[in-house]
Amino acid sequence: MEPPEYEAAAFKSAEKIILRWDSTASEDARERMIFDGDRYEINSYLQAVDDVQRSIESTTLSDDQNKASSAIQIAMARLEDEFRNILLANANPIEIDALLDINVLNLNQSSLRTDSSSGDFSEENLNESGLQDLGAIDQSRRSSASYRSMLSIRELDLVPMEIVTDLRSIAERMISAGYVRECVQVYGSVRKSVVESSFRRLGIEKLSIGDIQRLEWEVLEVKIRRWIKAAKACVRILFASEKRLTELIFEGLGSATDDACFMETVKGPAIQLFNFAEAISISRRSPEKLFKILDLHDALFELLADVEVVFSSRSAESIRVQAEEILSRLAEAARGILSEFENAVLREPSKVPVPGGTVHPLTRYVMNYISLISDYKETLFELIVSKPVTGSRYSEDLTTPDMDFGEVEGQIPLALHLIWIIVILQFNVEGKSKHYRDTSLVHLFVMNNVHYIVQKIKGSPELREMIGDFYLKKLTGKVRQAATSYQRATWVRVLHCLREEGLHVTGSFSAGVSRSVLRERFKAFNAMFEEVHRTQATWTHIESGRHPENYIKYSVEDLENAVLDFFEGNPVSQLSRRRSG
Amino acid sequence: MPAADFQGSPASHTSRSFLSLRRDQVHSMDSNDSTNQSQGLETFQRHVADFLADLSSASSGDLLSLSWVQKLLDVFLVCQEEFRALLSGKKEELNRQPMNRLVNEYFDRSVKALDVCNAIRDGIEQIRQWQMQLEILLCALDGQKSLGEGQFRRAKRALIDLAIGMLDEKESNSVVSQRNRSFGRSGVNRENRSMENHRSLSWSVSRSWSAARQLQAIGNNIIAPRPNEILATNGLAVAAYTMNYVLYFVIWALVAAIPCQDRGLQTHFHVARQFIWAGPILSLHEKILEESKKRDRRNSTGLLREIHEIEKCARHMNALIDSVNLPLNDEKEDEVRQRVKEVKIVYEAIKESLNPMERQVREVFHRIVRSRTECLDSMGRASTS
Repeated sequence: MEPPEYEAAAFKSAEKIILRWDSTASEDARERMIFDGDRYEINSYLQAVDDVQRSIESTTLSDDQNKASSAIQIAMARLEDEFRNILLANANPIEIDALLDINVLNLNQSSLRTDSSSGDFSEENLNESGLQDLGAIDQSRRSSASYRSMLSIRELDLVPMEIVTDLRSIAERMISAGYVRECVQVYGSVRKSVVESSFRRLGIEKLSIGDIQRLEWEVLEVKIRRWIKAAKACVRILFASEKRLTELIFEGLGSATDDACFMETVKGPAIQLFNFAEAISISRRSPEKLFKILDLHDALFELLADVEVVFSSRSAESIRVQAEEILSRLAEAARGILSEFENAVLREPSKVPVPGGTVHPLTRYVMNYISLISDYKETLFELIVSKPVTGSRYSEDLTTPDMDFGEVEGQIPLALHLIWIIVILQFNVEGKSKHYRDTSLVHLFVMNNVHYIVQKIKGSPELREMIGDFYLKKLTGKVRQAATSYQRATWVRVLHCLREEGLHVTGSFSAGVSRSVLRERFKAFNAMFEEVHRTQATWTHIESGRHPENYIKYSVEDLENAVLDFFEGNPVSQLSRRRSG
Repeated sequence: MPAADFQGSPASHTSRSFLSLRRDQVHSMDSNDSTNQSQGLETFQRHVADFLADLSSASSGDLLSLSWVQKLLDVFLVCQEEFRALLSGKKEELNRQPMNRLVNEYFDRSVKALDVCNAIRDGIEQIRQWQMQLEILLCALDGQKSLGEGQFRRAKRALIDLAIGMLDEKESNSVVSQRNRSFGRSGVNRENRSMENHRSLSWSVSRSWSAARQLQAIGNNIIAPRPNEILATNGLAVAAYTMNYVLYFVIWALVAAIPCQDRGLQTHFHVARQFIWAGPILSLHEKILEESKKRDRRNSTGLLREIHEIEKCARHMNALIDSVNLPLNDEKEDEVRQRVKEVKIVYEAIKESLNPMERQVREVFHRIVRSRTECLDSMGRASTS
């Protein structure tokens, strides 16, 4: 224990230093900053603060107490201003290049699925070995997620180390003197505006839910893509770096100050960031939104692990909770959109027949849609957990087909949905086919469309696997059936003109053929033949590749021969396929 | 989900039991029987009338207080649940006109309310900043062995920060020069940096967003159902009209109470008088409007009772500190301790209620989203975006 006189002297000289720097008392003190000056000045000021603080703790005389606490207040006010000044002098937003760190942005390759364009930021694939390392870790999803998180979080030095040291030396003293709140306020207000200006650089907009509802979906798709990149940069780099900065400055100084400062800095911006994703998750359902919503879902799912790491403290709970809520709303939205889509396919009402019985735009749209769905198989596998709502074979509702689940035992729900979609597409197609007045077109239409479906399924291994052989067989069977019906409907009609019955004069077989009837028949035959031939020449029978002759049994040549046979007395019914196969 | 699962926390015990009474009655409304339905409609309207009357009966000290606002939010949640229960299982009717249109209109309105909920969150954050200043004030002056120059200067700094923080954005520029005079010993340095503090508390909404415009959009075109519409919808049109007004009123009152960007309260309440809740809603509306016109509340950032309390005790404390001559005599010291106690009361009230209220606002947000999603999904029409 030092003798009291020594202490009193130490206090006096410390007090002198503090009073010299009282900005309310002197012009000079206002114009200069201690921490802009030389190290000696800085150290002697800090030492003075320590001395005064010590004397508060040891002295008992109330007079001295008052002087000491007055001195401390002046010192704290000064340190607060110094603290702010240092922070402001080092308030540079992160350079945009650092934010575009490709390792951070593209950790999950599947996020590149639909991003064919380069967009605002350049993207490259993560090197193969990195991904293989990840795959080699055979752990539960949680631990692999946190491993991934460790890889993906990138903490940058926001402020040079010697500055951090200065800041810490001030914070230490403010906190032990009981001025932690002032410290947190100053820190939060400066750093928060730095974060906000980084936000502006990343193109994060302040859009309200109303704004987003009014935007066209194409515009929103671009914004979603941009948001995904920005959100990854924010969580993994920006917020993570701010957190590290608060830890460097405040860790171990008591009162969970590092956490309080971090929340002051990022809470508002984080909420603003997630508000966008939230607004998207509650937008009206419509089929074209599915894939971007899945992209957003996947990105957020990936990001969640990082959010839990960066926002791990208790006071950050509302942010973690909000992120989880948004994720589950996006999942709900995806499920809702799929139902919406199924409904739309079933009820698609257009009655205008496609000329020539070709592939209907609906068929094309639906098949493209479900091909894309099979690309998103992994995500949807997680999200789609229940069977589709189908008709029942016991109901009398003829407006909804039914699906026999017995035949698709053991298939995942997503596959059931895809099969269901095909069932209802087929149902819709058959309904549309009935709007053709020409019977042969009815069958041609069904043939063309179901064939298209089959081709699309066969063209995609994922789709084929999910639809399964049973339904594929059913579909190809349908195509054959429609082809047969088509064939009958067209040519049999023509050949009907050449039927034997009614040609002979009543009486005996050996009697001659009625010339007039014959002439009429020929006329009719020629006319019909010409017409059918002519119109069918304008119809496209099968989509590219397939040979028409496998479906059309009789060529012009065949028919000419048939007519010749007739006149030579050969039975017409012996018309047969002249070529093999 | 029935009303049983939310944890609203109205401050007073009586209000909690009042609302919990209603929760039991919500269960009984999930019935398809038509007599039950008309009973349900009547009950719904009666509940709304009762809730509003209860809110209206608050004393002038309670009206627009934090606990009153919490009760208001609870009222919304219960009414929303009742409304949802009335609509559940009515898929047929909801797919017919005019109910289809009315329900879609209600949900469109409720989406507009979501932006207000988000803006209110900002306002709550702002109040939290003021709470922090009060905390510093108390740290300086409360429970100190002796009150010296250091403590008073610290308190003064906090008060100046608080004053600047509570300035209405529009006013802040013009008032700064006036504030100069009251700075006293603390000097120019102080004021500049506090302005920075204030500016950095930016809203999370864009500069062009306006609470007043949003309110207008919500209240726009709420038309009382015609008798043929009421008949065609088995009375559900009345439920929709009622719920529209509940939504409108609650959001309006929130904007009145809590600071947010471009608060404007001059919106119209043209309620058709024949409804039993029309009287209570109009009287509440009137009371709140009157409050907003009072001289000392006209320029406030929000009509919340506690904001007024903060303004008052900050003013007292400021005057007191300015009049202090050290060393303090006993009388002066007593006065200081008295004022500190005032501050403490407000501080404690805010500290206790802000977080729960923020959670409630979030709950309102969720309920609106959930019930909209459920209802629109069950209506099963492919919606246009």
